[in-house]
Amino acid sequence: MSNKKSMTSRERVLAAINHQTPDRIPVDLGATPSSGISAIAYSNLVNHIGNTELPVQIYDVVQQLAQPDRTILDRFSVDVLDIGRTFNEKPTDWEPTILANGAPAFYPKWFKPVKREDGSYVTFDDDGETMLSRMPVGATFFDQTYFPYVDGYPDSYENLDAEMGRIMWARDAHSPWDHAGEDRFWEQLRERTLRLRETTDKALLVVCGCNLFEWGTFLRRMDNFLMDLLCDPANVERLLDELLKRHLATLEKVCNAVGDLVDIIRFGDDLGMTSGPFMDADTYRLLFKPRHKILCDYVKEHSQMHTFIHSCGSISSLMPDLIEAGIEIFNPIQTNAWQMEPEFLKKEFGKDCTFWGGGIETAGVLNVETPEKVREQVLERLETFSNGGGFVFNTVHNILPDVPPQNIVAMFDAIQEFNNR
Amino acid sequence: MKDELLKKLSACVEFGKTNKAALYPPQMKGEDGADEITSQLLDVGVGAQEILTEGLMPGMEKVGIKFRENKIFVPQVLMSAKAMGMSMVHLKPFFTSGAAKQKGTFIIGTVQGDLHDIGKNLVAMMVEGSGYKVIDLGTDCLAEKYIAAIKENPGAAVGLSALLTTTMVNMEQITKDIKAVFPETLVTIGGAPVNDDFCLKIGADNYSADPQGVVDFLNTKIA
Ligand code: B12
Repeated sequence: MSNKKSMTSRERVLAAINHQTPDRIPVDLGATPSSGISAIAYSNLVNHIGNTELPVQIYDVVQQLAQPDRTILDRFSVDVLDIGRTFNEKPTDWEPTILANGAPAFYPKWFKPVKREDGSYVTFDDDGETMLSRMPVGATFFDQTYFPYVDGYPDSYENLDAEMGRIMWARDAHSPWDHAGEDRFWEQLRERTLRLRETTDKALLVVCGCNLFEWGTFLRRMDNFLMDLLCDPANVERLLDELLKRHLATLEKVCNAVGDLVDIIRFGDDLGMTSGPFMDADTYRLLFKPRHKILCDYVKEHSQMHTFIHSCGSISSLMPDLIEAGIEIFNPIQTNAWQMEPEFLKKEFGKDCTFWGGGIETAGVLNVETPEKVREQVLERLETFSNGGGFVFNTVHNILPDVPPQNIVAMFDAIQEFNNR
Repeated sequence: MKDELLKKLSACVEFGKTNKAALYPPQMKGEDGADEITSQLLDVGVGAQEILTEGLMPGMEKVGIKFRENKIFVPQVLMSAKAMGMSMVHLKPFFTSGAAKQKGTFIIGTVQGDLHDIGKNLVAMMVEGSGYKVIDLGTDCLAEKYIAAIKENPGAAVGLSALLTTTMVNMEQITKDIKAVFPETLVTIGGAPVNDDFCLKIGADNYSADPQGVVDFLNTKIA
């Protein structure tokens, strides 16, 4: 048994980020849309542990992720909450739907995809004609079908806000952003976050994408934007500056509303794939680093929040620059990617950043192995990552529908076992 | 003259130089690109076949190797593919008419339920750049789609791509369905969550971690 003084959840998370050894391993499940659980896996989990009364609320409709109930979070000693969950808190904010496995679930009541004869779902723009996204049969995700600048960059960015609003990631955004257009939204966000802060000792997180590379891919389509990085950097920079203006305006509002209440702000930008980063470090340095730095600097000057970035894949070659730009926390730590081995990462970057993820492989272990194998990997990962803080437990990316509930329970049990050593 | 031009074409593919007007890559600014050089080659009487095997393929092979070794990244590969595409526009008529021959046909698609296509596209480009006719079925492909394509292209090999653990399982059924109709058809699989064990388990013929691997496989099996 450890004789360390026991900490509140919030103290535990902050200790880890500040590289002090927390009393036990801080844990996340569902505080971000890349550290969460798909609706199907969540439905299986609540049934497995006998909490069948809990509704499966799909708060991120694009990725089909469930908002884990507070009962579940407490049961698994989760230490952090997304402030987005303070919205859509009434049963009347939700409408029933059926998951691909036949189980009941709920969508936020504003989300009304159209079911097609072949069983797929699609969404349309207000004109009822332009298809914006599509979820094929067998998929657990909506896919963007509308790319406004696919044929080239516009002369003027007057229409950028409108076009961004047509991209599924913005149009069908998860809470709190699904309420962003409403009167008094920012006051509401503050009031609700204040109330949450009073009722929980967990750390609080706000998801505020500020994506740069990814917005380029949403607007131009991925293949085009990747080539633009090389053959049209002037237009890339022009677009990034327009995005930066908008992101800074949002950050100003976020910092004013909750910058003194929330502990972590989560940005997103997928810079890696399994075999390597999407771009070399020079390209990152030239186009993205200066702008990431402006975003991080703003947060640091105007709030108490710690900076967090979600990026899939192999990014260790970009991490020194991301850290220099001001990123403090990385997620999901895709440990099966190139040069992303846990020991290597901890040794190379452990003192300079916090790993939020990498706790177990969702592809290859959590989804297919036995509970005992799950336990072994979790214990091994905790051994590697947890020394001296700088680690918050989370799976490598979202728990997908193929993960059996027994393994999720085994995973949390193993954390408990490690804490009690 | 001819050898000089073929070498230049190869460099255009290797470094992603599409045409004269292209500003990329900076070190080749103002020079002729794949577009112009292919025209020049055809003008001096070099055949489409030779342009493909002596110009495009050596360039693409270098790209494949550098990408595998993480010396270049996806943006560079896409530029190379674009340069190759510029050249292929001139060559396609010769392949269609039968005046020149590709090594064989490769059908590729991302499997049902999966929408990731960057990797699949890269494989398609590299295989094309290695001298094959490529039929790209897109994403979210059911078994029927592959089977229909094989019917139209007897003797073609098939590539299945999946990036998700939840969709790689569809590869098994698709492979079975294909083999039930065309037992001789070679099925090769790829994508981040897939590996050799899985390939063996589902009865596919080959797994490759990268595009160069599938090119090697095709060269030994169907070329
Ligand atoms: C870009 C991306 C997306 C984009 C896709 C855009 C597009 N048009 O393709 C978007 C945003 C749409 C997306 C969505 C999702 N994604 Co995604 N995505 C990625 C990401 C970051 C990069 C993939 C990529 O493009 N790589 C670049 C190419 C060049 O590499 P590649 O695809 O691996 O291909 C190479 C090889 O595998 C091979 N290869 C590929 N196919 C074939 C075929 C043959 C025949 C051969 C021989 C070889 C071969 O050659 C290629 C070149 O070397 C990966 C991260 C990663 N580490 O891969 C996650 C990743 C694949 N995604 C993941 C997830 C979970 C999802 C979602 C389910 C999101 C969610 N709900 O959480 C959805 C699912 C959508 C769907 N139904 O398909 C997970 C999968 C985890 C798992 N358990 O399987 C990953 C691994 C992220 C992670 N860190 O966990 N994603």
